[in-house]
Amino acid sequence: MKILVLEDNRELADSILNFFSSEGYVCELAPTFSEAKDKLISFSYDCILLDIMLPDGNGIDLLKFIKDENIESGVLIISAKDALDDKIKGLETGADDYITKPFHLSELHARLRAIYRRKKLNGNNTELISYNEISLNTATFEAFINGQLLDITRKEFELLMYFLVNRNRVLSKQAIAAHLWGDYTDNLANLDFVYQHVKNLRRKINLLNGNDYIDTIYGLGYKFRSADAVL
Amino acid sequence: MKLVDKLTLWLVVVLFLATPLSMVISYNSIRGNIYNSEVERMTDVNDKVAQQLKAGQPPHRYMLDRPIAINKVRSMPAQATKTTKFCFYNKHLKRDETRLDVASFYKINNDVYRVSTYNYIAPGELIISGMLKALFWKMLLITACVALTGRLISKLVLSSFQKTLHNIQNFSLHQKEKLEFANTNTKEFKELNFFLKKMTDKAIEDYGHMKEFSENASHEVQTPLAVIHSKLELLADTPINENQALLINDMQNAIDKLVKINRSLLLLCKLDNQEYETQENVRFCTITNSVISQYENWIQLKNLSVTKNVDKRVYVQIHPVLAEILVSNLLSNAIRYNIDNGDLSITLTKNSLTVSNTGLPPEAEPEELFQRFKKSNQSADSIGLGLSIVKQICAVNNLDVTYTYLDGIHTLHVVFAEPSMVIEEQSTETEIVFDKNTAIA
Repeated sequence: MKILVLEDNRELADSILNFFSSEGYVCELAPTFSEAKDKLISFSYDCILLDIMLPDGNGIDLLKFIKDENIESGVLIISAKDALDDKIKGLETGADDYITKPFHLSELHARLRAIYRRKKLNGNNTELISYNEISLNTATFEAFINGQLLDITRKEFELLMYFLVNRNRVLSKQAIAAHLWGDYTDNLANLDFVYQHVKNLRRKINLLNGNDYIDTIYGLGYKFRSADAVL
Repeated sequence: MKLVDKLTLWLVVVLFLATPLSMVISYNSIRGNIYNSEVERMTDVNDKVAQQLKAGQPPHRYMLDRPIAINKVRSMPAQATKTTKFCFYNKHLKRDETRLDVASFYKINNDVYRVSTYNYIAPGELIISGMLKALFWKMLLITACVALTGRLISKLVLSSFQKTLHNIQNFSLHQKEKLEFANTNTKEFKELNFFLKKMTDKAIEDYGHMKEFSENASHEVQTPLAVIHSKLELLADTPINENQALLINDMQNAIDKLVKINRSLLLLCKLDNQEYETQENVRFCTITNSVISQYENWIQLKNLSVTKNVDKRVYVQIHPVLAEILVSNLLSNAIRYNIDNGDLSITLTKNSLTVSNTGLPPEAEPEELFQRFKKSNQSADSIGLGLSIVKQICAVNNLDVTYTYLDGIHTLHVVFAEPSMVIEEQSTETEIVFDKNTAIA
């Protein structure tokens, strides 16, 4: 996957680049509006991470540019402003998703993958994500172990998906809670449920004789251990 | 006591104090005048008698209706006229009488004559009693006049003051509009208006600065927070030992809390700025149900028994995001401060939303908990902004919220200002279906 990152904050841009490079993605950084335009005209990207507040222009204007130039990349808006009209305007102008600073890199990754999947599917709803004996149907929210239907809840499905996307990453309980319950619900209280959900998921996979890929990282969270190279 | 009443009262008191003094003065002046004019008249009578004597005419016993007494005396006294006053008690009339005698001495043909006449004059008591009678009516008239005109004039004079008062009462920092005062030609009111204008303008300006600062500060903090957040995540992915993992976890928790506080403060700022105005009616019942289902896990963890009465087709004019935050905050409070195996009840009707839960008695007055960072239990793992956000959302949307505690039950009651509209539509109800499988084994 090829990504263009529009972010004027150097340290944050470094974190994003660091994270995605280790996923094996090709990342390019454009700290300004004009640089981004140049790159978008010359190259094609699967996804664009767009900070809405740039030193030399508004991200919404760049969205219009992307639309006018018929650029097919998926766009994920990053904003420091949790402003609603930005969100609505952004989504109306053609952005695919919206994330508010500060965010978990694993969450950013999951959203990016979702956009990428949707773009790649091109309207075809059914897609199977598979890893070894595990396969997930993102349209029906069904999971299978060796072809056998796994009896899991919607939240457990989302959790498994989150693990699969962020393989070999330490996922903190906070990141998982934010992913499953959103920003506005009380994540501090949700931390206990993360433990419950992970426990249930492991037990259910185990029931169908699946491998236990989920490691507990003491004090931090969980990690989906995968032997293979990154996606 | 009203200003006009106070002034009237004082004026009347002063009048009552000054009147006796003025009475003494008038009494003395009236009595003096009567006495003098009487003496003058009688001296004139004596003179006329003396002229008759000079002319050799036998004087009549009564001259100008005055009884005259003429005596020959030996020598001329030092004073040509002598006045004497007699006071005595008149038994028939049963009152004091005052007789005034005027004796004049004349030298006629080498003889000295004493011509004397007398008259009764009005005694002092009579004058006083007359004055007292008049006084009663006089005071009544003056008091009535003062009270009446005082009211009329005060209405006229104080009208600009009343306007100023009205302006100040309606003044709100949120309105951002500067106060305009009516013109007045009263110096004191001019000063008051000038001072109030200066003060309120300054308050509006300062409030604006403060809000701008807190909003900017919150925004500026987001990016550094995002940097720390991402770096910690990357750090967690490096080979670390258990101690380091615990340190990172604590940091992540602290940052999460910081992010939450920051977001809540920003939300409060935006509510103040009326950024969530809407003309739309949202389906409050759907939002309520979906929020309840979000909290299913937590409810089960605390083993609460839930009583849920959510009416269908409840529409409220409120921004959907705010509606969700409102219900979510009420519910999370009701769960967090609940006791294990406690009760939780959610009732939504067309007119109100009531969330009540069992719990320990609040340490502070229930209404105080709407203040920012005010927590009933300071150690609780919350940031203490939930209820103030609830209050603010209600204020912005003209909803009325009350918090009561009675017999171990905490109740938060939100009344929708206008009776929420009932829109009859095709029964394509997309009720939130409870995910029955979320049960935690």
